[in-house]
Amino acid sequence: MFRTQEMEINMGPQHPSTHGVLRLKLRLDGERVVDSWPVIGYLHRGIEKLSESKEFIKITPFTDRMDYVCAMSGNLAYLGAVEKLCGIKVPEKAAYIRVIMVELNRIASHLLWLGTHALDIGAMSIFLYGFREREMILDLFEAYCGARLTYNAFRISGVPADLPPGWKEECTGFLKLFRQRHREYEQILTANRIWLKRTKDVGYMDAEHCLALSVTGPVLRAAGVARDLRKDEPYAIYDQLDFDIPVDDGCDTYARYIVRMAEMLQSVHMVEQCLEKMPSEGPLMGMKGRRMKPRKDEEIYFAIEGPRGEQGVYLISDGTDRPYRCKFRNSSFANLQALAPMVQGGLVADVVAIIGTLDIVLGDSDR
Amino acid sequence: MKLTRFIQKLILWELLVGMMVVIRNQFRPKVTVQYPKERIPLRPRFRGVPRLRYDPKTMEELCISCLLCEQICPDDCIAIKWEKAPSGKGRVLKDFIIDYQRCCLCGLCVDPCPTKPLTAIYMSHDYELAGSDRLDLVAGRTDLHEGRTVTIYDK
Repeated sequence: MFRTQEMEINMGPQHPSTHGVLRLKLRLDGERVVDSWPVIGYLHRGIEKLSESKEFIKITPFTDRMDYVCAMSGNLAYLGAVEKLCGIKVPEKAAYIRVIMVELNRIASHLLWLGTHALDIGAMSIFLYGFREREMILDLFEAYCGARLTYNAFRISGVPADLPPGWKEECTGFLKLFRQRHREYEQILTANRIWLKRTKDVGYMDAEHCLALSVTGPVLRAAGVARDLRKDEPYAIYDQLDFDIPVDDGCDTYARYIVRMAEMLQSVHMVEQCLEKMPSEGPLMGMKGRRMKPRKDEEIYFAIEGPRGEQGVYLISDGTDRPYRCKFRNSSFANLQALAPMVQGGLVADVVAIIGTLDIVLGDSDR
Repeated sequence: MKLTRFIQKLILWELLVGMMVVIRNQFRPKVTVQYPKERIPLRPRFRGVPRLRYDPKTMEELCISCLLCEQICPDDCIAIKWEKAPSGKGRVLKDFIIDYQRCCLCGLCVDPCPTKPLTAIYMSHDYELAGSDRLDLVAGRTDLHEGRTVTIYDK
């Protein structure tokens, strides 16, 4: 008499909790997800192909628009690759400024993740608090480079400008305040039984599967693998800084929350060290002029640890001032592969939590 | 220890702690800015749309039509018209057009500008860029010097 059948529904691309324009095709058996297919490409702008027709310096603004939540990391990854390709040395002071900016942007990115992830699950106030503190970081960026989201803050071989007067004090003040506010976030969420119910054992993925799908970043570290390019293959000045890699072996959404929260404090610690150690004098650009002379037929891969995972750039040069091929290995695209296995067998409501915990940016995965 | 745990669980201790944070935040100063009425003060380095400027002393055109900004623009949004100076040396700027629809506000055009000490092209503090026509957003030389007229609806 009563017949049940599996139903296929669309989630997105305009769904508010898909963090952009991710479309998910879900096959449901009642409330259970049987299968899912992420459909991406709604934000595809052809940045990789477009880059082939532009000089190296002109590609920097495009990298802002890939991972727009953490544009500084995109800048650093791309410029690091170009500098490696052309064999350019970055002055020490410029390297310090870069690291300060990238780490502050990591905090901003994690705050955005915290706010939206918690909002998806149902915690409203943490969203407002997270964005309030993120706004302070954006103010710091505006004071430094003039932009609040698409920074284009670095140039090939260095940074265009020194920190403005009073910036250091403002930054120290923010970091001091942020430590207090971080404690408040923890008070709201870490032991909250609703939060625990929604996140514990949701989106389980162990280290073996993470590695098989080349998932990186906090998702991998929450599966117990201490893989962090800042420690494993130090770039910029990370080898001179003292920091830990937060690792958790819970493998679930809650473990990822713990890891990201701890990462924010590590970033604060790093920025404090940088502000202290940064040389007050010194050149900001390692190269005069704008002519780029890469060696012919050179292929390089350079990766940094972005807030979402390994953010790599693969460049092939043909000896001209334009790349022959420019490939971006973006962490959102790789991490998105973990979505289907994670949501399988779970509830529809948990799909939202899992999209949040993967912390995907669709501009990053579509490029 | 076990008893305190039990009591904490019974009286929803962690939810009360979280609620205390929310109540504490009720009494912190407001951070919301009512945008069209109030505006956030911009930092000196703020990057709005690029504009041109005159020499502040002589009020003459600073731009020497070297075309460096046109070359470095990633979006090809700058177009410069020039002709040879009557004296035979240098160039005279005829028109300078920036298509604000394409401009990505990256600030790369300011870097190579050779005029010293002030660059001829600079990132202004204008950021309200709405227009009802595509041509509204194509700024010619006068627009670049004087700024686009923005209608502000204050009611």
